[in-house]
Amino acid sequence: MSYLELSALTKRYRETVAVDRASLTVEQGESVALLGPSGCGKTTTLRMLAGLVAPDEGSVSVAGVDVTRLPAHRRNMGYVFQSYALFPHLNVLRNIGFGLEERGFKRAEVRRRVDEALTLVRLGGLEQRRPRELSGGQQQRVALARALVILPSVLLLDESLSNLDAKLRDTMRQEIRSIQRKLGITTLMVTHDQVEALVMCDRVAVMNAGRILQVGTPVEIYESPGTRFVAGFVGRANWLAAKRSESGRVSVWGTELPIDAPRGQHLELFVRPQRIRLVAVSEPTGGDVARLTGRIARSVFVGDYVETVVQGADGELTVETPSGQPSLHDGSEVAAVWRVGDMRVFARDTT
Amino acid sequence: MSAISRPHLLVLPGLALLAFIYAWPIVGLLRTAFNEIGPTGAMVEAWSLQTSREVFSDLFTYELTLNSLRLSLSATAIALALAYPVALFLFRTQSRFRGVLAVIAVMPMLVSGVVRVFGWLAILGDRGLINTLAQSLGITGSPVRLVYNWTGVTIGLAESIMPYMILALLAGFGRLDRTLEEAARSLGASPLRAFLRVTLPLSLPAVTLACGLGFVLSMSAYITPRLLGGGKVFVLATEIFEQATTNTNWPTAAVLAIYMLALLGVLAAIAPAAGRRNKA
Repeated sequence: MSYLELSALTKRYRETVAVDRASLTVEQGESVALLGPSGCGKTTTLRMLAGLVAPDEGSVSVAGVDVTRLPAHRRNMGYVFQSYALFPHLNVLRNIGFGLEERGFKRAEVRRRVDEALTLVRLGGLEQRRPRELSGGQQQRVALARALVILPSVLLLDESLSNLDAKLRDTMRQEIRSIQRKLGITTLMVTHDQVEALVMCDRVAVMNAGRILQVGTPVEIYESPGTRFVAGFVGRANWLAAKRSESGRVSVWGTELPIDAPRGQHLELFVRPQRIRLVAVSEPTGGDVARLTGRIARSVFVGDYVETVVQGADGELTVETPSGQPSLHDGSEVAAVWRVGDMRVFARDTT
Repeated sequence: MSAISRPHLLVLPGLALLAFIYAWPIVGLLRTAFNEIGPTGAMVEAWSLQTSREVFSDLFTYELTLNSLRLSLSATAIALALAYPVALFLFRTQSRFRGVLAVIAVMPMLVSGVVRVFGWLAILGDRGLINTLAQSLGITGSPVRLVYNWTGVTIGLAESIMPYMILALLAGFGRLDRTLEEAARSLGASPLRAFLRVTLPLSLPAVTLACGLGFVLSMSAYITPRLLGGGKVFVLATEIFEQATTNTNWPTAAVLAIYMLALLGVLAAIAPAAGRRNKA
């Protein structure tokens, strides 16, 4: 039995199903992300976990105890809100101490633990400030400290970094990750930012339209997407219209590729731009690679890499090559090659 | 300089109107306060403090003052207790009938004060709704006096200021955020504790505003104390009316009116300071 278990959680609003039988298990000390586009039901799932929204069906259990019907204030979960939700009428000290005061701790003990939490999030010296006198990053740290100081059974982060600027977000990602590791606290976070999910979490659950589509480690999600949606949502991708050849293999641009075709009328071939190598047409390739030929339509220098578009017989292929390599001339003929393991085939019209 | 100050000219028409309908009559009131009443009972033009001396040496003036303060405080307190939950509900509801509900809540403002008083007579009178019901249920043997006394006036006044207080509360609730209450709940506060520690403190500015408005309206209310009091309830506002019309003693009415204005001014000046001390 896992530490945190969501089983078949369902929430309906009138006719729409916000969350549809979401099931997920999280081990103690593990960090898991719910990743998906806005409106996919990930925040509703988190709120059901915290007891802020009552599920229509399904259950939540923590350490083997069913908490589905437990009111929010008795769940002992630390929740960091997207807007931080700091109490504007209380200073930093009382904001962080709020949960401890509710638990009836003595004044001195509250102070001691708040000081510890302030050190943890590196906010010493700001105890007397009001939230509006803090920068966005500092508010974020106060919200985090306030949620951690109660020693929650689970830490819940709701798009907690989305209000920070890019640079600060990067710092906070590292920092929250290291605090999470140091305290060994079980964490579930909601985000629409794939980088955030991949960088900060041990496992990622990709959600769309109220359903959890795939759960796996960042590498699994990125390398072996199970569905077309997951493949398209995480990372960049080429989608090539494909057919099933007579020998049961996949054919793209009239060329047969060394991969078996699934059932289905309309097939799509998936391959990431940075997994493709461009070589001279004359260069021979081994048997275990896919190979398509075309002409270079255009190249764009993007800094870290060069984005090259190859025009084939029946469509385009985008290739990302690390910059600093000899450039290829527009119009020249090239072969695009990639390893068999780097491509996937999906039947279209299914998610 | 002129480019910056020009928008300020826009307040001039309003200022002119205020000067005309507010400042000018007050000047007239001040002037009247120095007049006297002659032996015939007619007003005599004068520049004397005779009328003021009579008013302020009469203990009845202070009884009226206490009556007014007590009535206004209790009516405001009752109205606040009723208006606060209504306003909070209206502020928070996601219902698509929210607009309609808000209009219903302030609807009593659309009804004339006199009509409302007669409505209360039908409910609170000896043979009104409440007494009939109480008697037929055997709760009381004889009718309980609910009108023509302080009880009736307090009830009627509280009801009449409630819509204004609801509007003032709604306007003042601007900073309230549902998420803050959720944050408090996630930190272990029960719904009641979350309300007491977060929502209530954050709504205090709105409460102050609403109470100030309700109090001023109660102090100056005349129709409700006069009609629901049945001539047995005396406050400053009824006395001013009495002196000005029945007794045609304009100087006394003027002195009382200025006295009440000064009283409200003093209260307005010390109330915020007292409120600040409470918070600290």
